[in-house]
Amino acid sequence: MLQFFRHLSATKGLLLGAPVFALLLVVGCSATPQTRQLAAHAPTDIAPAKTLDSTPFIPQKAYQCGPAALAMALRDSAVATSADALVPLVYVPDRQGSFQVELLAAARQFNRLPLVIEPNLPSLLGWIDAGKAVLVLQNLGLDWYPKWHYAVAIGYDLAAGKIILHSGEIANYRVPMALFERTWRRGDFWGMALLKPGELPLQQNPQTYFLAAAAMEETSPHADMLAIWRTGAEAWPEFPPLTMGLANYHYSQGNRDAARRGYQTIVEHHPEYLPAHNNLATLLMEMGQYDEAISVARKGLALAGGSNAALEDTLDAALAASANTGAGGSH
Amino acid sequence: MNRLVSRKPLTAVVLMMIFATVSFHTPAYAAMLTTQQLAADNQLQTERTALQQRLLRADVRTGLLSLGVSPESVENRINNLSHGELAHINAKLDALPAGGDGLGTVALVLLILILLEITGITDIFPRL
Repeated sequence: MLQFFRHLSATKGLLLGAPVFALLLVVGCSATPQTRQLAAHAPTDIAPAKTLDSTPFIPQKAYQCGPAALAMALRDSAVATSADALVPLVYVPDRQGSFQVELLAAARQFNRLPLVIEPNLPSLLGWIDAGKAVLVLQNLGLDWYPKWHYAVAIGYDLAAGKIILHSGEIANYRVPMALFERTWRRGDFWGMALLKPGELPLQQNPQTYFLAAAAMEETSPHADMLAIWRTGAEAWPEFPPLTMGLANYHYSQGNRDAARRGYQTIVEHHPEYLPAHNNLATLLMEMGQYDEAISVARKGLALAGGSNAALEDTLDAALAASANTGAGGSH
Repeated sequence: MNRLVSRKPLTAVVLMMIFATVSFHTPAYAAMLTTQQLAADNQLQTERTALQQRLLRADVRTGLLSLGVSPESVENRINNLSHGELAHINAKLDALPAGGDGLGTVALVLLILILLEITGITDIFPRL
């Protein structure tokens, strides 16, 4: 070995030194605190090991891990599709890959609610333990030399310290958890789980669910939004935007009585949520109940400290409508 | 918005001219607040949504086409994106990670050559 180094010219020695130095840098920032934490304190609320045998494996074709991973996630959620069928929806030829937002967008077109999971290993394990495969973005290379890759996490083994992936051309790929933590961290711990309408999410904050449902409603006209909003509103009654989403959905379907009940529930239990006052007042006005509309709008404005553009407009309109019909407002 | 401005100066000018003609407090009319408005961050953003949406869609369409997405599928793909997602893609089209295993062959070959050179198997760069 010494002999070998002696034969190197000074420049070649430098050349060798550079990669070694780079390697040291890389090692220096490659700690895996989550894996260490899981090894030290194994979570007791999930099974010690789990593999979702029912998730089909679909090998990827050249560069097309996005369509293949999405097809696996959709099949895991009982959608009959193939990687080839998804290529026109998510593949970006000149980038030889797929964007995360387009994976979310494509899943919605199959009546599945895509949720970006909380970005950490315990959350990933929790979803798998609950029976859901998770599509993950990894950077298999380095930050400065990225090799982006989508895989589907289908299992884990805490005692052995492994994550099990359907990845590329390998089914049931058992990756050391620390290595997976590194490659997943370079993908910002991004993972996507799919819910059927009516399925309850896991360990998820209501805001994430609300935003996913709002995007679903905006982009997927055939989605089963009633089940999605109802599930959210029932799971998080303390989070008004979800009840609001349900009531707005009822309103959009011409179901005024159900919408009104929804708005009223929020106004009673969460009077601080002003949009409900606005929509209740507007709905009451549409139903010709001007006095009630004025009263609701005034109460909302009082809670807003007198300044809220939407509520001011609604109150003005209700007062004007009331005066025009001679129904008598409470001036 | 800032990113939109820096990417498309003309778009920004047109936007500003249009906003200048819109009074901020419209005449009184009662309106339902939609779920998508509530999902957007603030009131200003929702007032701009309809116009911004059209401009955004045009920008993202151009971007996706330039990356080789076929004209037949681009419209469908844009329709599948929410307003927030369109803005996200538009702002970072060049920087977004696109999972797909593309490995820069030039860099890889160079790395291998350097290793071969160092270990004395090749002598492509004799002056080193």
